[in-house]
Amino acid sequence: MLLHAKSARLATWTLLAAALLLLVAAPLLVTFMAAFAGSWNGVLPTGPTLRHVAGALAADNFSSLVVSLQTAVFASLLAVLLGTWAAVCSASAAASPGLARVADAVFHLPAAVPSVVVGLGLLTAFSKPPLLLNGTVAIVVVAQSMLVLAFAYSTVSAAARGQDPMVALAAASLGASRLRVLLTVRLPLLLPDIAAAAGLAVALCMGELGATVMVYPASWRTLPVTVFALVDRGALFDAAANTLVLLAVTVTVLAVIAKCRGNSAVR
Amino acid sequence: MLSTMKKSRRAAPAAGHPTPAAAVVPENAVELRDVSVSYGTTVALSGLSLAVARGETVALLGPSGSGKSTALKAIAGFERPCSGRVVLDGVDVTDASPARRGIGVVVQQYALFPHMRVDANVAYGLKARRMPKPEIAARVKVMLEMVGMEGHAHKLPRQLSGGQQQRVAIARALAIRPQVLLLDEPLSALDASLRAEMLLELKALRAELPDIAMVYVTHDQSEALTLADRIAVMRNARLEEIGTAEQLYSRPAGAFTAKFLGGASLLPAISTTVVPDGGAMGSVLAGAHRMKAVAPFAVNPGGRVLVAVRPHAWKLAAGSPAAAAGWAGDGAGDGYTVNSLPGRVESVQWRGAGHRLQVDLIGLSERVTVDLPAMAAVPAPGDLVVLTVEPQHAVLVPAGEL
Amino acid sequence: MRTAAGPRVTPALVGSARVTGAPMEGPASSFPHIPGSWRSWLWLAVPLLFVAVFFAYPLAQIGAQSFQDKYGAGVGLANWQYELSSAAVQKATAATLKIAALSTLGALLLGTFIALALSFVPFRGAGLVTRLIETVVSFPSFLIPLAFSILYGRTGVVNSVLGQLAPGLPALNFVNDVPGVVLAEVAFYTPFVVRPLLAVFSQLPRELLDVAGSLGSGPLAIVRTVILPAGLPALAASAGLTFLLTMNEFGIILFTGAKNVMTLPMLIYTRSIVTFDMPSAAVIACIQVALSLGVYCLYRWTYKKLSGANHAAAR
Repeated sequence: MLLHAKSARLATWTLLAAALLLLVAAPLLVTFMAAFAGSWNGVLPTGPTLRHVAGALAADNFSSLVVSLQTAVFASLLAVLLGTWAAVCSASAAASPGLARVADAVFHLPAAVPSVVVGLGLLTAFSKPPLLLNGTVAIVVVAQSMLVLAFAYSTVSAAARGQDPMVALAAASLGASRLRVLLTVRLPLLLPDIAAAAGLAVALCMGELGATVMVYPASWRTLPVTVFALVDRGALFDAAANTLVLLAVTVTVLAVIAKCRGNSAVR
Repeated sequence: MLSTMKKSRRAAPAAGHPTPAAAVVPENAVELRDVSVSYGTTVALSGLSLAVARGETVALLGPSGSGKSTALKAIAGFERPCSGRVVLDGVDVTDASPARRGIGVVVQQYALFPHMRVDANVAYGLKARRMPKPEIAARVKVMLEMVGMEGHAHKLPRQLSGGQQQRVAIARALAIRPQVLLLDEPLSALDASLRAEMLLELKALRAELPDIAMVYVTHDQSEALTLADRIAVMRNARLEEIGTAEQLYSRPAGAFTAKFLGGASLLPAISTTVVPDGGAMGSVLAGAHRMKAVAPFAVNPGGRVLVAVRPHAWKLAAGSPAAAAGWAGDGAGDGYTVNSLPGRVESVQWRGAGHRLQVDLIGLSERVTVDLPAMAAVPAPGDLVVLTVEPQHAVLVPAGEL
Repeated sequence: MRTAAGPRVTPALVGSARVTGAPMEGPASSFPHIPGSWRSWLWLAVPLLFVAVFFAYPLAQIGAQSFQDKYGAGVGLANWQYELSSAAVQKATAATLKIAALSTLGALLLGTFIALALSFVPFRGAGLVTRLIETVVSFPSFLIPLAFSILYGRTGVVNSVLGQLAPGLPALNFVNDVPGVVLAEVAFYTPFVVRPLLAVFSQLPRELLDVAGSLGSGPLAIVRTVILPAGLPALAASAGLTFLLTMNEFGIILFTGAKNVMTLPMLIYTRSIVTFDMPSAAVIACIQVALSLGVYCLYRWTYKKLSGANHAAAR
């Protein structure tokens, strides 16, 4: 309890509310309202309409949504798989401190580099032999998964290192092989954090723009790219509608992941 | 089950350590041969040699940092010694992983698998050994009954109290019928009343498992005294002394053991007689006071020793305040009896079952702790008293560094 | 449990040798490696390979490209000399650093205030608010500039309202310029500062504040002398991370209308995708990567130092 005077507390809460209004509420609210607005010349929009949202769910844009979803899911699966693999390795009792340091350095690096550079790199490297990926779906998936790999690794590795080492040692002392300890003890206890990492990864991939815009083929446009095209044309309300759809789908996927996690054995 | 376990251990005799062939003496269940463990520059265990026979309970007793937990971890395979060998049932297991050692471990925080129910926890080791399912179920039932937890088989660890978790941990460790049971301060996470109760239960459990060797790590001497056949006192990563409780109690070989096990007061003294071999009585001069005590080792005149007296061995001489008043003047006098030390009471503490006095000795700058039984007439702080002790209740201890 | 049996008397099976440990040191070895450590490296190989093929190799290719011309022929340092001396690149670098610094400062100030208010001036919905803030991290970054355009853009809501209320005033026109970018970045990255601070503040024992208060410190003094020092490693880490991320930010700049605001990532995009000048893009990318890695290393080093110092002080 830092502040005792009621007036000081009220002032703080007011300021806090104002700050949160600016940060969280305003962008969401504005996007929501604009998505259903016919026109907006006053404080509040006028002429509520569904045509923007309808447009957002129409053929072209809907396929962008599906593309985004598919890319995000595959990229997240890849990133979470590799990130968990690396995190479990580096947190295992048999790993030397040097290995942990190398793993930390290497797997955090892609997050330190701008997404456009990751995209540019993939474009440059795989537009020529030995591996041609230019213009494929794979290159988009790889780009997004590389970007979220660092977050997945970071989340899971923090949890893995926080695990009580005695539990794994007790399992070993009971006669379980390393593989059995991994599958029956270490991974199940990491499941909540792996799920959290998966959720974060999906959210980041759905909204990813920097690398995607560098490598996407014309036939595989993600939703953020579509939104950008709309904004470039000045169709702000349509863009808002599309963004709203993006948000809605992202939140749904996150809720599904959280539900699955809630059903599994609790710690 | 037991035979297959034994077979797997005997299958791999370590190079350079031939399995004893046709040994006449039964092999020790656990043997540490000069084991040292260090982390970087910190030495956690230095040159420990220890043997535990089948069916024996050895307690590793010592303050924190004494290396006792490290020794246990070395036996379990949780730590790798940087020198020395660990031998279980005659097989060198120093390089073996914990899974292949056939041991059961109960650690301080129990380390139950939080995502598994109680019965799955207890069954874990059996599943790892690929026991058939019906046998697993039967064994789990037996183990849970043994520790009194049969009604809790479907609960998760977080739904259990500390004492209940500890019982499940014990059941889990014993389910695999290990040859050796290792316990690392299993009672220290429990509160005092529960601890006493669990200690008795552990003792009863021990009686039901006569063939298992048990190594019990603790910093609490009452646990060691209750459970152990032999106690190994450890200090500063080394073994101080090992022996039965009775031996360590009545004839401690060092000042540390005397203090740690029983809280003896140690009075510096000079020996005045020759005792060629240990066992007879020795006479010493503690400051200006003549004392007679048991001398378990050879002493020569002029040698520096310590006289160890446990708090409950002191008695207040009859009519002490008057007698003590006579000391106020000069110190030593020939007419005064042996093992009679005057002092001034510094504090009195009532402990329910008796009183604990702190007495500053006169003529010897030492403060001793005296435990008086409840009914005795209790002096007040500042009173002069004369403390006496029977010679056979005082023992000489070599004057090494404490 | 069955009732306790009578006291057992066990004969000492092995003689009670009075063993006093001989003073001896074990060899001073490092933490004992269980022989599986080589196996760990092998297991790590698969994820490492992925990063090597799809991150390290592409970066190397960018580096190689920076020494080539459009057709793949080597031109030595010509590209580098050209780009490093070009006004556009220098301006972009300056703009990138300026925006990053301003955004970081804003996010730090706002984020610290929010974290302090949520942690130490509790109210009933505080948990819900915390979770709400955490969800902002999952937003696409372009949501904010989009909303700001709608609100504050030249033809946006605020301007229309102001136009009706006070026709004489000049229209707000900051969204498509540096202030708009900074505002959007502050809004987006503040949660990155709030989260770690909330974690650190939640571990601060409340009694500490009560005692400080009872000793006569006012709230601001307590914040300055007790709370902020404890939060310093997290703050420094957040500052470093936010600076890095805002330096690399692309989506927000793209949506803000990049004509007025040209940062390095934006420049890389225009040069490569819009004008297909790959060598130039490669050089700029190298510059950006050098900057990013430098800031990243600085951030890790500072964090280690500060959290090490904090641990030493706490002992």
